[in-house]
Amino acid sequence: MTWHVSEEDLRAYARTELAAPMLWSADTHLAACARCRAALAEVSEPVDAGWERLDAELDAPRPGLFEGLLVRIGVADHTARLLAATPVLRRSWLAAVVFLLVTTVGVVYSAGSPTLFLALAPLLPLAGVALSYGPALDPTYEMAVVAPVHGFKLLMIRTLAVLAAGLGLNGLATLALPDYGLRALAWLLPALALTATGLALTPRFGPVLAPSLVGGAWVALIAAADAAADGGPLIPFTAAGQSAAAAVAALAVGLLYLARDRFDVFHRSAV
Amino acid sequence: MTSTVSASGLSLHYGGTRALDDVSLRLTPGVTGLLGPNGAGKTTLLRVLATAVPAQRGRFTVLGHDPGSTRGRQEVRRRLGYLPQTPGFHPDFTAFEFVDYVAILKEINNRAARHREVRRVLDEVDLGDVRGKRVKKLSGGMRQRVALAAALVGDPGFMVLDEPTVGLDPEQRMRFRELIARAGEGRTVLLSTHQTEDVAMLCHRVLVMAGGRIHFDGTPAELTARAAGRVWSSAERAPDAKAGWRTGAGTFRNVGDPPPGAELLDPTLEDGYLLTLDGHGLAVTA
Repeated sequence: MTWHVSEEDLRAYARTELAAPMLWSADTHLAACARCRAALAEVSEPVDAGWERLDAELDAPRPGLFEGLLVRIGVADHTARLLAATPVLRRSWLAAVVFLLVTTVGVVYSAGSPTLFLALAPLLPLAGVALSYGPALDPTYEMAVVAPVHGFKLLMIRTLAVLAAGLGLNGLATLALPDYGLRALAWLLPALALTATGLALTPRFGPVLAPSLVGGAWVALIAAADAAADGGPLIPFTAAGQSAAAAVAALAVGLLYLARDRFDVFHRSAV
Repeated sequence: MTSTVSASGLSLHYGGTRALDDVSLRLTPGVTGLLGPNGAGKTTLLRVLATAVPAQRGRFTVLGHDPGSTRGRQEVRRRLGYLPQTPGFHPDFTAFEFVDYVAILKEINNRAARHREVRRVLDEVDLGDVRGKRVKKLSGGMRQRVALAAALVGDPGFMVLDEPTVGLDPEQRMRFRELIARAGEGRTVLLSTHQTEDVAMLCHRVLVMAGGRIHFDGTPAELTARAAGRVWSSAERAPDAKAGWRTGAGTFRNVGDPPPGAELLDPTLEDGYLLTLDGHGLAVTA
């Protein structure tokens, strides 16, 4: 044995207060180390409760790679499990997003203009969030709706995680476009505006139609701006366009908050 | 016996369809069966009582809590176990992880306490030995038991089970009935089913629904008694029977108003159910 569980951690363990990932390390170590088991027995009152818990922990499956990573960066283990159940946080979805962004950056390099990237990047977080919640996409939707955890809270946990992943990947792609400076970040406010608007419209139009309408409106706006542009940047990526995106995002967040209770029951598309 | 769930005047329309039409009921501890043909409104009633869908009119309480307010709905959900008609699973989760996930949705955030509860419910449905197996690799019957285990998390006082025996083979169905009977000890369980055998074997009360309304509310014996003197045997199909089918013996078993001198048979729960449905889209001849 190269290490032993400290007395402080053993006391926390006996009180069932030791947090993961140290908890998992202690479980694994205690199973193999007689010395630490003896030390645990000395600090445990009563001993049986500690053994019962150790037995239960040894029996519990180890979390997957993604879930374990979340716990290691400080996410509570119950939140990590909620996120592990989010379909779009799985490898297949993230790999598809990376592929799309790499392809787009390649096209931007050959075309000499960031417009395609700026137009596409806001749609990815919108799609990611839309695919993380709803009766058609979440197999446990029906059980989740009638659970005591607020639907809105669950939605926000997943939205923040998907946004963090989506915006992070978009950000990495932006780093591949250093020639355009801050212009290459002009996707960020539209991304927030589209995502917030898509969510705010979900109680009214449903989890599929709402983001589709918002995405379609964005594509139409870009097409119209492209037709009106005279060699300069498209309107959504100018200072005025960015201000408008910020205002839309703020308004949508307000509407979303007002509609929060409507995420607590079935959407009519699920009935 | 004091009722644990009571509803009055529940109504819900989808477009022009009356899914629930002025439904009132009182449930007591034990298993209550909910029988009815497809489209009768059973699933809608279960979803309303499970607080998944709000009724447009009427009100109900579960264990003293009114889900009409956000807080009341929360309290009802804390006391609810729900097994939907087609329970969905995250394919990569093991049985343990899936039930653990549902336990988190039920606000059991302490890891040690939650894992104890997961082990308890998986043992209760006899799946302790396969808790580490991925759900997608389990048989249909086992998956259904995983869903029942998830519904049992937190020891709910009111359980809503929507056709849990559909798609199970006879042995699995028998096993599942044992589990439902166990779940009904000291709890209020509302069991929606197409199988009259489920009701005969499990339920102390039965409701019959059709067209969004409840047409019978009583004991299984009372439902069976509705067909007393109205079931008879004949060599040929009886044209005036409400329902009739050829039995394995080659004779016809008929339900309805028997002709004079007919050979009467002992009624079953199914006969009583068919007569209750008469006039609500029933067409059972073979």
